[in-house]
Amino acid sequence: MRCWIALRTSITTEPSSGLMDKLTVQRIVASMALGFTPRVALVDEAVLMDVTGSLRLFGGLARLMALLDVRLTSFFDTHHVAVHTGRAQGATSLIALGRLRLQAESPAATKRVAELPMHTLSAVLPHHSVLERIGCRTWDDLLRLPRDGVARRFGAELLEALDRARGSTPDDYEWLVLPEAFEEKIELEALAIHGPELMAGVERLLAGLQAWLLGRQSGLSALRLTWHLDRRRDVPPTGELEIRTASPAQDLSHMARLVAEHLAQQQLPAPVHSLSLQSLATELLVDSAAATASLLMQAQHQGDSAVELVERLSARLGDTCVQAWQPCADHRPEHMQRWTPAKIAIKSIAATARKNWSSGQNYMQKWQKKTFAGPAKGVKSMPGTQTDALYPSWLLPEPQRLATEGNSPVYQGKLTRLAGPQRLEATGWLAASEGAYQAHAERHTPPTMRDYYVYRSEQGSLLWIYSVRLEKPVLQLRHNWYLHGFFA
Amino acid sequence: MPLPNPLDRALPDFTNANVWRAGEVGSASAQTVATGYEALDAVLPGGGWPQGALVEMLQPQAGQQEWGLLTPGLVLAVNQPATLGDPGAQLTALVGAPYLPFGAALSARHLDMRRLISIHGKPGHPNSLLWATREALQCADVAAVLAWLPDARSAHLRRLQIAAHAHHKLLFVFRPLRAQNESSPAPLRLLLQGAVEEGGNLLVHVLKRRGPPLAAPLLLDTRPARLGALLAASRERARLKREETAPLFPLSQFLPVTSPMSSVHALLDRIAHLDHH
Repeated sequence: MRCWIALRTSITTEPSSGLMDKLTVQRIVASMALGFTPRVALVDEAVLMDVTGSLRLFGGLARLMALLDVRLTSFFDTHHVAVHTGRAQGATSLIALGRLRLQAESPAATKRVAELPMHTLSAVLPHHSVLERIGCRTWDDLLRLPRDGVARRFGAELLEALDRARGSTPDDYEWLVLPEAFEEKIELEALAIHGPELMAGVERLLAGLQAWLLGRQSGLSALRLTWHLDRRRDVPPTGELEIRTASPAQDLSHMARLVAEHLAQQQLPAPVHSLSLQSLATELLVDSAAATASLLMQAQHQGDSAVELVERLSARLGDTCVQAWQPCADHRPEHMQRWTPAKIAIKSIAATARKNWSSGQNYMQKWQKKTFAGPAKGVKSMPGTQTDALYPSWLLPEPQRLATEGNSPVYQGKLTRLAGPQRLEATGWLAASEGAYQAHAERHTPPTMRDYYVYRSEQGSLLWIYSVRLEKPVLQLRHNWYLHGFFA
Repeated sequence: MPLPNPLDRALPDFTNANVWRAGEVGSASAQTVATGYEALDAVLPGGGWPQGALVEMLQPQAGQQEWGLLTPGLVLAVNQPATLGDPGAQLTALVGAPYLPFGAALSARHLDMRRLISIHGKPGHPNSLLWATREALQCADVAAVLAWLPDARSAHLRRLQIAAHAHHKLLFVFRPLRAQNESSPAPLRLLLQGAVEEGGNLLVHVLKRRGPPLAAPLLLDTRPARLGALLAASRERARLKREETAPLFPLSQFLPVTSPMSSVHALLDRIAHLDHH
């Protein structure tokens, strides 16, 4: 026995909100229904879905219906549209549809299939008055009529519909298929002059995009927003924006915030009259079909993830302002590490941001055995990373030339030498890149040495100071002192 | 025998843990993270850094004392064992750091550098640091936020305090000394000062806490053991060298000119010369 669900969603918000019209809502519901079964059809005002083949995956009809309800409610809630969803189930598509229509008229009525009123069948409607006059009221009455007479008087459509309702002919429709890529264009209600004014339109487009994603069971990782400018101005006709995210998601609230950040910085050369949205890259979310059924999962996601944080910060502040650490194999302190834009290293940050439970436990146990000031050995560290407690914890981005008094450096008062020297060969230090370094070496620049000392300032903080000396000390009359770090 | 406090009799016996008397150090109702310094834990309400509250640190100069004081606590905070349903936050966000944190040294202090993100303000947008701090507090993966906000006002800090409270995060805000006389919404305010003493290198004044004011500052040794050993060795070597070299040279060379003894020695020298002639 087959199992059909008929859905009808109607907007109950004031019509003035105008975010979605009837047709859009039906299309959105249909594409969300595609997340449950590929057999979805738009019939008259309703969405019909054949879920026979999906019942096992979703754990039965009751759970599937509950999940469908949850998805529909949360989707329309996030877009601030109040909707009423009517839902009926039946063994054939027309039974489900008939029950849905009956439900809309009198919500309390539950009738057997034979007792369904005649007008709940779409094919009856053209002949409704005639049939009523010959005394037909219910589906049962229709089925009792002689077949050849019905075919002659009312045409083959009614007979076909009756057969389909009884389940004696195949219940096939033109199934709805979602396009491979999402593309939609809308006209704005009013000309937009500033970037942020486009957001209302973008949200409408994103609602459609999200429904499309739910239907295709994929997550979005890149989109392109194009705005069409007023032709009368002497400017290029369109402007566009490409936004990518590292974590493909079905929930587009993060994407919407990224778009808003980018639009806030956008200068529009002319008023914008329409917007179009295109999905550039999507990824299939394997577990999205059945796994999202758990309500507990939703409860866990409180607050943003690390990826979302980094992307949002980068969108507003610029990529270079949000940095992550990268070790480098080099003996020169300023080349031992690099602070690179965090957006590039985002995957590894996200991976380390959430550890699995056991490794964290192990680490804690190991760690607790040590004292706080224990030796640096045994620290979990990446290969190629040098760790040494004798390095300062802050490094100056550029060494700072210090004033001298006699032959010793001065920084905010007199300094006391505590330890040193530690000699470091720092040839190529002046070279900005490796290529320049080569050129430098070829010109036989004398290798520079740096002697690092630990000094204490009058305020009690420790400074990491080096003096540059060339290989031939004869050339050097007095030392140049540089501040390179703080032991904080 | 001390007389019983008349107030004790006048008031009903409060055994309720939710009642805090101003004369005692409050037991913070929120969770705390041990600081790694026993002396400091003892004077902080709840015995550690409060989670979900702003901790304000005043410094004469940014970038002088932070890591030594904070790393033990941060390491504990980001490695808090996960509970079921809560995988535990892992990231530490630095907002407006004065210099570059040096991975080699911080890794040696057990800090996982890969879990550090450093956020700088957009030039020309003074409020971008505050915005970034609030955003970082809202992130579920962030365990602690360290923010250097020299220009923050009290109203800004209040919003940060509310955000830290709402999202239950460790928040440390570093401000210059001139903020000392401004009012502050932070439940815990510390003043950090470098010290040149045998027992430690950092003086911590507790300016404000849930409890009676702390009369004397705490002296902490926040340097890593290896650095401490190096400094001690250098000091010892310098002392030995001084002792070795001292007898070989006339003493007067080593005494500063301003020493009260120098004039005496000069006088004695002259007398010796006179005798010789």
